[in-house]
This record gives sequence, C-alpha cells and structure tokens, in this order.
Amino acid sequence: MEQLSSTPKAADRVGGTRKVVKDILVYILMAIAAVFYLVPFFMVIINSFKQKKDIIKAPMELIGKSGMSIDNYVKAFKQMEFLKAFGNSLFITGLSTLAVIVLSSMVAYYIVRANTMFGKIIFALMIASMIIPFQSIMIPLVSIYGAQLNLLNHRLSLVFMHTGFAMSMSVFMYAGFLKSGVPRSLEEAAYIDGCGKMQTFRMIVFPLLKPTTATLIILNAMQFWNDYLLPSLVLGKKPLYTLPLSTYSFYGTYSSDYGLIMAALVLTLLPILILYFFLQKQIIAGMVAGAVK
Amino acid sequence: MNSLGRTTGDKIKSFLMFALPGTFVFLCVVILPFLYGFYLTFTDWNGVASVKNLVGFSNYSEVFRDKEFWKSMGLTLKYVVLSVLLVNAVGFLFAYFLSGKIKRGQNLFRAGFFTPNLIGGVVLGFIWQFVFSQVLVKFGKGAGIVFLSKSWLSDPTKAFWALVIVSVWQLSGYMMLIYIAGFTGLSEDVLEAASIDGAYGWSKMRHITLPLMVPSFVICVFLTLSRAFMVYDINLTLTGGEPYGSTRLVAMHVYEKAFTARLYGIGQAEAVFLFLVVAIVSGLQVYIGKKKEVEA
Amino acid sequence: MKKNLKRMAAAAMTAVLAASTLAACGSSTASTEKPAETKAAEETKAAEGTAAAAEAGSDDLKGQSITLLNSKGEIQTALEEVAKEFEGDTGIHLEVLACGTGEVPYTKVTSMYSSGTAPTMAILDTTDVVALASEYALDLSNESWLQYCDKLTTKVDGKVYSFPFCVEGRGIIYNKKAIEDKLGKEFNPESINSLDSFKACLEELRKAGMENPIVLSKEDWSLGAHDFGYVYDTQDGTTDGATKCMDALKSGTKVEDNERFKQFMDTMDVILEYNYNKEDPLGAIYDEDPMHLVEGDAAFWPNGNWAWPNLETAGASKDDAYGFIPFVLGNDSSDFANTSMQASPTKQLMVDAKQSTKEQQKAALAFIDWLVNTENGQKALVEKCALIPACSNNTVSPADPLSRDIVAKQSAGHTYASSFIAPSDHWAVVGATMQKYIAGQTDRAGAAKEINAYWTAQK
Repeated sequence: MEQLSSTPKAADRVGGTRKVVKDILVYILMAIAAVFYLVPFFMVIINSFKQKKDIIKAPMELIGKSGMSIDNYVKAFKQMEFLKAFGNSLFITGLSTLAVIVLSSMVAYYIVRANTMFGKIIFALMIASMIIPFQSIMIPLVSIYGAQLNLLNHRLSLVFMHTGFAMSMSVFMYAGFLKSGVPRSLEEAAYIDGCGKMQTFRMIVFPLLKPTTATLIILNAMQFWNDYLLPSLVLGKKPLYTLPLSTYSFYGTYSSDYGLIMAALVLTLLPILILYFFLQKQIIAGMVAGAVK
Repeated sequence: MNSLGRTTGDKIKSFLMFALPGTFVFLCVVILPFLYGFYLTFTDWNGVASVKNLVGFSNYSEVFRDKEFWKSMGLTLKYVVLSVLLVNAVGFLFAYFLSGKIKRGQNLFRAGFFTPNLIGGVVLGFIWQFVFSQVLVKFGKGAGIVFLSKSWLSDPTKAFWALVIVSVWQLSGYMMLIYIAGFTGLSEDVLEAASIDGAYGWSKMRHITLPLMVPSFVICVFLTLSRAFMVYDINLTLTGGEPYGSTRLVAMHVYEKAFTARLYGIGQAEAVFLFLVVAIVSGLQVYIGKKKEVEA
Repeated sequence: MKKNLKRMAAAAMTAVLAASTLAACGSSTASTEKPAETKAAEETKAAEGTAAAAEAGSDDLKGQSITLLNSKGEIQTALEEVAKEFEGDTGIHLEVLACGTGEVPYTKVTSMYSSGTAPTMAILDTTDVVALASEYALDLSNESWLQYCDKLTTKVDGKVYSFPFCVEGRGIIYNKKAIEDKLGKEFNPESINSLDSFKACLEELRKAGMENPIVLSKEDWSLGAHDFGYVYDTQDGTTDGATKCMDALKSGTKVEDNERFKQFMDTMDVILEYNYNKEDPLGAIYDEDPMHLVEGDAAFWPNGNWAWPNLETAGASKDDAYGFIPFVLGNDSSDFANTSMQASPTKQLMVDAKQSTKEQQKAALAFIDWLVNTENGQKALVEKCALIPACSNNTVSPADPLSRDIVAKQSAGHTYASSFIAPSDHWAVVGATMQKYIAGQTDRAGAAKEINAYWTAQK
C-alpha cells in the first residue's frame, strides 16, 4: 500500500514547478475566456441604465453622457404590466415544468423497465422528433389547435404544448439515468412488499431520480420562461401575455428602444438566474448521472 | 423478472398508467402537426387560403429546382461542420480544466460559461452586431490591423465566421456541462491505475480519457448537430442573411420561402427535406459513436 | 444550501404527488374542452361579446369587443391609448394586438387566420392586403369616407377592401442647418431639381469641408424597396404605371433598357461617390446613420418620414428644419420626379369578413368612422400616433417637420401617390442585388441581369 501511494506523490514533486506554471497559464486562459463569455452580459446590464442615444454611440461606456438612471426599469416595469405578466409566466412555467417532470419520468420508467416493442417505438419517435424544425410544424399546430379545436388563447393550452415539446428531451435524460443509476432490486423488493406499481414508482423510483429531476427543472423552466415564438402563437390577448411577450412594444419596425429592451431582459432574467444559482450543484450532478451513461 | 408486466393485462395496465399520458401529449403536440404538415407538402396551399388542392409531388420537384435552397444547404453544411467541431472542442476543453485542474472559482467559471444560454433573440443579435461592426472596427483601426478595420458583417466570409463564433459562444457552455458530467463520472480508479502504468499527459488523454468520454461525445455531437442544422435565431438577428443574402442558412431560407415568398407548400417540403438530412447525418453519427463505444 | 435543496426536493415531491392528478387535469381540460362545432372562430369572438350583443340592437354597438392587429411597432403604445379613448367615446372595447419581435406581419396574420382567431381589423402593408383581400376582407367600396381619400385607396378587382390608414412619403431628407452652417448661405431645397444640381450641391459641401455629405443606409428593405422602388414609382407617378412596368419586366423586357433604371443608377453612383459610409458601405449601422445627419457631419439621408423617431433619438427636435428633396432622377428639371416627392398610403386597415360577427364588423367600421370624422379620432391619428392622415377632411397639423413637409407638399400638389405592389420577396432579392452593387461586388450590367432574372421567374 505504502509503495503504491508514494508513486504518484513522487511524480507530483518531480513536475512540481512545471505544474504550477502550467496551472497559472490555464487560469489566465480561462479568465480571458470567461471575460469573452461575460462581456455581452455586462453590456446588457450597463446599457440598461442608459438612454438609447448613448447606447448606440458608446455602448461600452460604463455611464452614458446623459448619466445613469433607472428610468428604463421604471418604464419597462410599467409598460410590460410586469406583475401580471410575471404571474402568467410563473403559472405557465410552473405548471408546464411540473407536468413535464411527472409525465416524462413515468414514460421513461415504462420505456426502460417494461422493455416492450411499443416502448421502443415511442423512444425512437421521441429521439427523431428532436430534429424536427419548429418552423415546420408551427402553422399545422395552430391550424389544428386553433381552427379545428378552438383551444388557443388559454394558458392551459400553452402548458399542454410546452409539455409536449419538452417530452422527448426529458424522457431521453430520464431514460439514460434509469438505465444506469437505479438498481432494479429496490423496486423488486418494494413490489414484493405489496406496493402497487404507482406507489413503487412514487415512493422508491422517483426520489432516486432527484439529480436528473433538478437538471430538467432548470433546463425546462429556462426554456419555458424565455420562449417567445410558441406563446406568441397561442396567447393572442394581452391579459394572458408572458414576460417575453409583454416586451413587444419596445420593438419598432425600423428600430427598437434598446434601453427598455435591456432593462426588460434583466427583469425577465432575474428569477431564472436565481433558480439557476439555487440549483447549480444539482444540475451538474444531474448531468453526471443522467446524460452520460 | 419484470415489475411492469407479468401478464398481458398487467402490461396493458402499466402502459396505460405510465406511458399513455406523456405519450399522448407528445403525439398530439409534435407528431400530429408534423404529419399534417407533411400532408400539406402535397397541396398548393399558400398558408392562408381556405382552398387546398392536392398537387402530388410537384412541391418536391420545385425543391430540386430551387437553387437558393441548395446553396443555403451547402453553406449550412459548412457551418454545421465548423460549429460542431469548435463547440465541442471548446466545451470539452473548458470541462477538462474545470473538472480537475482548476479548483478555486470552479463554480464561478462554470456559471460564467453557461450564461450565454440565458440571453436570446434580438438583444443577442444587437450586442454581437455591435461587437463585430463597431468594437472590433475601432480596435482594428486603432491598432492598425487591416483585417479588423472593416465591419465583419459587411463581408460574406467574415460574416459567416461571425455566425460560427457566436454559435460557439452560445452553445459551448451547455456542452461543457455535459462534458463535466462525463469527467466526473469517470472512475478515479481507472485514471489512477493509468497513472501508475506510466500514462501521463497526452498519452493518458489519448488512450484512457478520450475513449472513456465517447458517450459524452455522442450526446454532445448529436445535440450540436441538430441545433446547428436548424439554427435560425442567431442567423436572423446577427446577419439577417446579409450581406446580399450570402449568409442565409437553410432554416432561414425555408422560413422565408414559406412566409416571405408565400410558397407555403414548397417551404414545407424543404423543411421535410431538411429533416431527412438531419435525421440521416445524426443517425450515422450516433451509429458510429455507439460502435466506438463498444470498441472502447 | 443543503437544507434549502432538501426543502426544495421535498416541495417538489409533494408537488409531484399532487401532480399526477393535477397534470392529468391540465391535459384533460385542454383536450375535453374541444367543442364539436367547426366554425371555431365565431365562437370565441361571439362569446366575448354575447352579453352585449344580445341586448344591443344593431345601432347600439356598446359593449362590443373587437381586435386590431398592428404591424407598425412604433405606434403600438400610442394605439393602445387611442383604443382607450375610442372606448370612452363609443363604449366599444378595442384591443390592439402587436406583431412581435422579428415576426413578419403577414406570417402573423396568416397564422391567426389558420388558427381561427383572426383579428377584426388589421393594419397591414398594401401587398399583404392585396393578398388577403378577395378571400378575407370586407368590401368597403360604399363607405362614406371614400369621398375624402378616393385617390389614395387600393382597388382589388375594382373594389376597395381597405382604409388607407396613413400616408408616408420618401425622398432625400436634408438637414437645413447643417448645410447652411457649412456653406454660409441660405439653402433653398427647391433649387435641387435635377441630378446635376444635386451633384453640384454635394460638391460644394465637400469643398466647404463636409467630405461625404450623404448617408446611405445599407438595409435591404431600404435599398430594395424604398430606393429601388423609385424605378417603378416614377414611371408615370401612379401605381398602375408601376404595375405596367413590372408586368413588362415579367414578360421579358430588359430593365437596363428602362430610362428610369438608367437614371436611378446614375443617381446611386453619385450618392456612392459622396457616401458618408463610403469606406465600408455595407458596414453602415441604421441606428447610427441619423446621428451623422443630426450632428451635422452629413447633410442628406435618403429615407422617409417614418425615420423621424430615429432623428429624434439622435437629438433632433420638432422645431428643427428638416425636410425632403425629391430622389432626383436625370436632368430634366421639369420632370415630376424632380419637382415632387413620393407620398402614398403605406399602411392599410382591412376589416375581417370571415371570422368576425356582423356586430363586430359594424364596430370596426365605427372605429374607422371615428378616426375620419370625429375631432378626437383625427387628433388621435395625427397627434398621438404621429401619422399623416390620408383623408383630406383631417386638417390637424402633424407635429414633426418631416410629416409637416409632406403635408405642405401634398397640398401644393408636389407629391405623387404611386406605391408599387411587388411580390413579397421583392425587397429581399432586389435588396441583396443592390447591396452587392453598393459594395462594388457587381456592376450595373450584373445588377440588371439579376433583376431581370428575378422578374422573369415570376408567374
């Protein structure tokens, strides 16, 4: 044992200084890359406090000629009817995320455990559907749900569609995790103890899926929260607008009010950022567990 | 042993219980419209008229005659190859450094590289437009670099590269997460054993790490492939296909065919074509990847 | 952190337990709501206004609820205020819907029709109205407001399907002060009535130290529709003349044989010679272009009165002296193209005939009537939305100098109303060709060849 563990240590010592230099180099490179990745984000934030003219003339300046002001935020907040739109977004994102998590975990469980022909077909169909361009089903979608079924302009219809579109990716991730990370023996035991199928799933399997669930919550919630195109097709009335939809009046035909747009973007992003920081550790863990195997 | 169905009745019951609700929603929202859209490719519908006439395969033969479609498809292939390579190379490198080498500030870096996923749409286009047509130009003029002294967006080649760069910027953080997951999943034992066997640096990377990472590669390449083929937002907001239509990628062409030129059937047929191309390419990629996985 | 995560996971779990039922509800409400009726659209629309429609006679439209799709993003906020005012005056509830980010208005209206939720009214470009008219638009040929704007309406098969919502004009915008400051003498815009006089003015400015006095924007809609559009619009100054020219091109007439094309390209060459963005013509930035004009670094900008908000953002004020000179073509100073500017209705308001109820259609007509005939409506259009009205009985004076200039020219007879109607991808294709031309990637013959190819491919 002693011999074994001393070998790598020795190696460490030999390459010591070289390793430190290399590490510092890597650090510097990563820092430069990080700046490159974050610059646009900072630009959004600093410009959200400036007037349009200053933004166009000198977007990199920290404070514009006309000074810094929170006017954009106040105006955006009012014009977006922020609280109402926030409520809609929260309702739609929350319910859709919940529905996706519940339904996709069950489908994945069925696909992996039942191992039927039917399950395989569904799985293949879902994978294939991940490469359908959304634009190509957009008009058929609204003709079916609008003209034929008259279901547009309801928030629940949007929840239904969000859920459908997010199914494949979520099932894919859950299935990956179920195949590798969840031992079958636990379920068997529960089953023998007299638990029903649904009960087994709820009490035993689903809690084990936690890392993947966290990942999917953030990925799906982010997608639903920021989506523009689908909500714009489904929700045609102002009282139903989600946050991204409610910024429409900041965009002109020929030119847009960038200050307002950026303030609105920050306002829209804040909740999702908070969720992201909250779940960050879990996301990585979820990816580890789910995607790879 | 199968907890989800010992008898036929049982099997049906568990299907109804577990798979049906989710599958039903999926079929209703994705597959049904897709099939309806497929049907529309055989009609002369213009997207709004109440009359549709069946026209057989004529939309498809129009696709073959649409030179612009093939031109944009060619450009898209080039874009796909470049962005898939670069996105994955960059994402992989980030993940490599952030899953071992760098300990301090690891989470900060990870979060930083992921933030581009949070900005989308017009704002993203505006900011990058500004970077390519102003920041770089001012810098180039100041430093006397000819290559940077004109707007990137006014030159077809450079505008194309601008698209690639922004795509890398946007997607690599996402892929990084998946690669990090892969690295964390690598068993310490294997890597340590390799070190003991004298495998270090490049040879360790080449013979031990890379083969073990094949599953992550398969997923990441699949995700980047499909996204790159269908890229639309960045194309629209960054270059808008300009200068003179030279950077119009295929999804944008399809969209414009269907809605700007109002040839809905042809646009839809082109979308089906695009779908087939992506299906074949990503199918091949997954197949090859899985084979590699087995070999490794 | 850990505790929080646990709590969250617990919350998620409880949620999930409740969810199997909840989610099932979510999907089943969505799917069981499905009505058996097929004429879906009338349902929603009717449902909104049933209460009112039931008790209201056909003369009393109070309580009706109608929608208006707006494709003119910059007046969205103003229109919403106007809608409230209209409701206050008439009791008809009007909801203004917007075309969002990067959405093509035609796509929006198309998807709304496909989904059976068509807006009662839609403000659209003329080409869009023409495409939808015969199938979906209400025939407005017998409306009384026609007496005020008969010459400005668009007819499809001899019928009027739309109300000309506003007039917009284009030419070359000048900044009087910038010119006079540089030259030290008064600038008379009417003195520019030929390409030579324009060129002389540009040269004079250059000698006085304004190296490149004209800003050329590079956007494809600007080059392809607004600039190149002069070729069609100046054939004889009428839309019919433009259509005839385009028909000829479709049947194989060469564009390079067209006198207006030659003149147009000559003018473009002069503009390119004195282009502020000369160094990198395609590197121009639309939001920056007006700043050069306003700050006096340049004196001219080919554009239309819709650019006023941009000038204002760039620092211009409503009392400044901005105005138009015509987009000069050739050297005949008596040519109407050199003495008058283009001004025509660009946005049309159509009323849906298919998916709205009779009462809603009446309410929509009442809205148009309100805009045309009441003081509040007239003011709303001109002052709130900052538009130029198409109806001659509206004498409210516009607030900005560009619109004022157009109104003045209109009443002096110095405008022509041609507004060419081209296929919907014309601006994109011809815009790309013109971009190549201004970047020096193609010459006149090459550009002509591409334009000919575009037209002969049209059926």
